[in-house]
Amino acid sequence: MLKVKDLYASVEDKTILKGLSLNIKAGEVHAIMGPNGAGKSTLGYVLSGREGYSVEGGSAELDGKDILDMEADERACAGLFLAFQYPVEIPGVSNLEFLKASLDAQRKMQGVEPLTATEILKMARAACKQVHLPIEFLKRGVNEGFSGGEKKRNEILQMLMLQPKLCILDESDSGLDIDALQVVAEGVNSQRSPDRSFLIVTHYQRLLDYIKPDFVHVLADGKIVKSGGPELALELEENGYGWLNDNACEGQGA
Amino acid sequence: MSAWLEACIARADDNTAGQSWLAAKRQESLELLRESPWPTRKTEAWKYTPLRVLQGFSGGAVGSAAVVDKIDDLNSIDLVFVDGNFDTEQLSVELPEGLSVTRLADADRATQAWAAKRFACIKPERHLFGLVNDVLFSDGVIIDVAAGCTIHQPIRVVQQLSEGAEAHTRVLVRLGEGAKAAVIEQCDGNSESFNTLVAEYQISAKAELEHYRFAFQVDKAMSVGGCHFDLAERAQLNSTLVGFGSTLSRVDVDIHHGGEHTFAKFNAIYLLDGRELFDLHATVEHANPNGRTIENIRCIIADHAKAVFNGRIHIHRDAQKVLAELNNRNLLLSDHAEINTKPELEIYADDVKCAHGATIAAMDEQALYYLQSRGVDRSKAQVMLSFGFINELVDQMPNQILAEWLRPQLRQRFSQMEVS
Repeated sequence: MLKVKDLYASVEDKTILKGLSLNIKAGEVHAIMGPNGAGKSTLGYVLSGREGYSVEGGSAELDGKDILDMEADERACAGLFLAFQYPVEIPGVSNLEFLKASLDAQRKMQGVEPLTATEILKMARAACKQVHLPIEFLKRGVNEGFSGGEKKRNEILQMLMLQPKLCILDESDSGLDIDALQVVAEGVNSQRSPDRSFLIVTHYQRLLDYIKPDFVHVLADGKIVKSGGPELALELEENGYGWLNDNACEGQGA
Repeated sequence: MSAWLEACIARADDNTAGQSWLAAKRQESLELLRESPWPTRKTEAWKYTPLRVLQGFSGGAVGSAAVVDKIDDLNSIDLVFVDGNFDTEQLSVELPEGLSVTRLADADRATQAWAAKRFACIKPERHLFGLVNDVLFSDGVIIDVAAGCTIHQPIRVVQQLSEGAEAHTRVLVRLGEGAKAAVIEQCDGNSESFNTLVAEYQISAKAELEHYRFAFQVDKAMSVGGCHFDLAERAQLNSTLVGFGSTLSRVDVDIHHGGEHTFAKFNAIYLLDGRELFDLHATVEHANPNGRTIENIRCIIADHAKAVFNGRIHIHRDAQKVLAELNNRNLLLSDHAEINTKPELEIYADDVKCAHGATIAAMDEQALYYLQSRGVDRSKAQVMLSFGFINELVDQMPNQILAEWLRPQLRQRFSQMEVS
């Protein structure tokens, strides 16, 4: 599904990703953990095509297609979805209008008939229910005045509607209470399927209690220094990242 | 003095509209006008708005004005001025109880005497064209809402101008104590014409006015008018102005808090394209304590257009405990467009809370990226964001039927604007 090979990327002339490699097969859930400043969020931004992040080397393919040359919207239409750590507020554009524009654009690019307004509304209502957001939120401006938890749930709502192939969750657990965390996790779990993959970026093991990953990677100083199964997350929770300083040079890409 | 103003004064001498009840006041305005210097680039109130386009306009050739479209589901009471003359046929419709509409020429002596007081009182240094309206006054109406009455049907005053027409009309609105009404002023047209619509509102104690001014004149349709609001104790105003630019579009909005515990909300949206100009001068006078003002002015500007905003809030010495906010945000879609914005706070009271701000920005890159990350292409995302920027204020309009009517027009206007 996603093949990242020896990726180098910089922002404002500072190299953040330094030879990152990652291979996610269809249906797999991968978690990326790591200390602050390791490049976790950068990875999400680079893969989703945020402006200001320049790729200096390496490759990234989604379903065999090179995504690094695509615009952000083309990557989304190709099936990539990033759940933001800090979703943007867009007053004056309603949540429903935003969902409709996104769905219309993606379906157009995929060459499928657009959904009718009624179909979209029906889906949106069901999605609201699933992430425990009142239906009135569809009429409100995108994320406008939403609490931190509501914003994160709104990201999951979009994911449910857009049905992406690859979902990158950028610290979707940060700032959430236990209830909201469960809602987010349930949203993700309900979407797990043999043809959909997840990349979960997180600081804490907590989210992984609810979303069981197949693989856990440790990202430090721009590359993956350790990979393992779910037990690696528990190990990190116990020992922290201090050990990285001891054997930083020995790290190998996954 | 300019040739245009000279011709205007010469024509004023022959003007007989309004006749005897207005003669003395018109003479007064004429004297003031004779002494008024013609604005140049050095005249602060007209610094960015050149009036030379007026020189080429002679007027006179009157065609036939277009038919006024009803607004679906609004059920408004429409008062129509065609080329500056009130279409009396519209008066035959039955008005709801508590509402009366009288043509100034047909009003009784007392009403005319009251109306005459409104003339010759517009400050010439700021609004020369208030005086022009006085002396060239062609027709006008008084809209009265009786004390304690609520008029549920919005009252819509439509100005229609055919090619070459010139109109100097006056709309005077009086809301009695505790009365409630909604008034819409609408100017349409795209052919070469000139109007100075002056609307004045007297909002009595505890009365509530919902007000709209749609300055939809484009291209060569020139307009230099204004709205003046007088708020008595506990009176409330909620006003929305929407404007497109033309070769000359200028609106002066004056809000005078003449009593305590008054509330005024004024939102304005303007969308400018091509080489259009829109100039909004808004002045708020807080002469009394405990008043409140909220102003939100938003402009989207493309191509080589020019926007001018001057927002002044003046808080007098005795006007303690006033809350006033003025916010002006401008979105630039082109490197060649020009925005001149000047928020001014003048505060003489020591216990007030005021805020003002003006921003000029290009599109928010973060929001663009957010939309793109969901599949929306960049140009569509730009349109959505810009529309959202003004739609926020449309959402705040108290009359949602009117908002529904307005949105597609703004969308259409916006879709024609070049994003570069």
